[in-house]
Amino acid sequence: MNRFLDLIAHNRNILMLLLLSLIFLTFTVLVPHFFSMYNVLNMTQYGVEIGLLAFAEALIIISGGGGIDLSVGALLSLTAMIIGVLVGRYGFNIWLAVIVGLGASGLGGALNGFMISFIRIPPLLATLATMYIFDSLALLVSVEPQFGNPMPISKFPDSYFFIGQSTIFGIPFQVLFIFLPIFFILNYYLKSTIYGRFLYAVGINDKAALFSNVPVKKTRFSVYIIGGILVGIAAVIMTSRIASARPDLGLGYNLQAITIAVLGGINIFGGEGDLIGVLISIGIIVVLYNGLQLAGVNAIWQMGTLGIVLIGSAIINYLLSKRKLYVISLKNSK
Amino acid sequence: MKKNSFFRFFRTREFTVTIILLLLVILFGMTTKNFLNPSNIRNLLLQVSTIGIASIGMTTIIITAGIDVSAGSILGIVAVVAGKTALSGYPIWLIFLLALLVGALLGSLNGFIIGFIGIPPILVTLGTMSFLRAMVYQLLGGKWIGSYPPFPDSFRKVGTGVFYGIPIPVWIMLGLVLIFMYYLRYRPTGRYIYATGNNIEAARVSGISVKKILFFVYILAGMLYGVAGYIMASRTGIVQTNTGAGFELSVIAATVLGGTNILGGEGTVVGSILGALLVAVIKNGMILMNLPALLEGLIVGAIIIGSVIADILKTREGKR
Repeated sequence: MNRFLDLIAHNRNILMLLLLSLIFLTFTVLVPHFFSMYNVLNMTQYGVEIGLLAFAEALIIISGGGGIDLSVGALLSLTAMIIGVLVGRYGFNIWLAVIVGLGASGLGGALNGFMISFIRIPPLLATLATMYIFDSLALLVSVEPQFGNPMPISKFPDSYFFIGQSTIFGIPFQVLFIFLPIFFILNYYLKSTIYGRFLYAVGINDKAALFSNVPVKKTRFSVYIIGGILVGIAAVIMTSRIASARPDLGLGYNLQAITIAVLGGINIFGGEGDLIGVLISIGIIVVLYNGLQLAGVNAIWQMGTLGIVLIGSAIINYLLSKRKLYVISLKNSK
Repeated sequence: MKKNSFFRFFRTREFTVTIILLLLVILFGMTTKNFLNPSNIRNLLLQVSTIGIASIGMTTIIITAGIDVSAGSILGIVAVVAGKTALSGYPIWLIFLLALLVGALLGSLNGFIIGFIGIPPILVTLGTMSFLRAMVYQLLGGKWIGSYPPFPDSFRKVGTGVFYGIPIPVWIMLGLVLIFMYYLRYRPTGRYIYATGNNIEAARVSGISVKKILFFVYILAGMLYGVAGYIMASRTGIVQTNTGAGFELSVIAATVLGGTNILGGEGTVVGSILGALLVAVIKNGMILMNLPALLEGLIVGAIIIGSVIADILKTREGKR
């Protein structure tokens, strides 16, 4: 038993995988139609959007200094509305609109990054403020000039829908050609490039990083821009999948993205965690949501269980890190 | 020495916010017809009272370098409990006690996990926020209460009543502000709260029971959300699943505008009330000036950023 605990303490992802299989098996046994090809594919579609937001949140939290982003949901709404309005009201070419939208989301991330790394506003406050600002801008953009109220837009050309609605060999397009490549690129970036190592160094101790000639400010700045672009990509996929853009599209996603990142083993104090853990945790959350939904539990309890999982995972993180220290001290004393 | 503290007053956040408030009042008073109307002012104060009372709790929490995003959900639960017991015909003093108790209990849940287990406040309260919101839904069964059958008049009296021309919730807020001003400034526990937020290690070494202080602060805040929740249910006369949703962000915004340092150790209750007033005056004035309500978020966001930048500039100057 102790050896098992040590194993988990050293590699949290094994525990996560066990948890994922346990939840998956439980739903397979208890909920009819859960384990069908259609449903599993449906789950991965949903997982892509929330997963990209979780990756953004994970990178930002790793960068430390109280790093957190409360504005991802609002930025998602804003990006979706910009794309929708350019296409639906001004007749832009859809791909041009997508590029403008991604640029806007990158700019939104840059605004966060600039305030946090250069002006040194605490991330919680900076992103709280931009959350208000992006939400307000999303509403303003969505205002129908004729009537003067915010209106959703669902005039997208058919050529746009392959991103979110098509499958290749039964696997959704966005999983195969957007999500997985992004995962591998980000994982490579974190593990094998100097910039990834900079990010961890900044997250663990920014003063020490500064003295080791790590560009602390630029590293933090860039991570918020990357986060913004990931949010933008999620907005593109989402508008394509549901074929409409609403000013409240991203409502409530902040909490979910943060929860997935923390459940995935990202240390809220920065400098610790990897994207493989986040990937498994995306699986856990999506399976949990889908299973509860098929079991007929009200959608609000998806959020409720999420809250319990968040606190539970934080406590487990804490206990495991204690255990890790204990094991290390035992080894040193030998 | 005397002169020094006199000048220091002009450099406080409370002073800056008061000046901005006065300027805005003059601006709105001159440009709109109804802003200075007594009934509009009364309404405005009434809206401030719930956010103001909750912001007293939020201020003590942020002084300890914490944060509480579950405030709106705790308020929601209390409003449901108060509403349901009112419909069953309980006497109002009992309902009020119950509101305090439920608030304290839910606050102690946050406080226990944060203080004694040591999980970061933002994570714990994000978790309890969504869990408690689901509980609100569960307790109400997806319906709303208060419209039919309506709450008894005795229950509505606290939220809608007027005493010497000023709404009762505003009196309650003023009373609580005075108590907490004294408490945070002059009582030992109040000083411990600042000490904990300033430097938690130093506070621990000087013999302050830091864990208990954190635990206590969240209970205190929970009770204040309880008062706010009671007033909210009693004033609006309706409780629904999204009662108090998003409330926490307005409270945090008011607190931060009032000069409470998000990194802990600094802040006053009066500042937070002024912050809440500032947001309410802006919202109210915008409506009266026929500006689109959609701009509200933009302006609140810009003010938060502006006030934090002002803070940063001030501390830089101080270090020189």
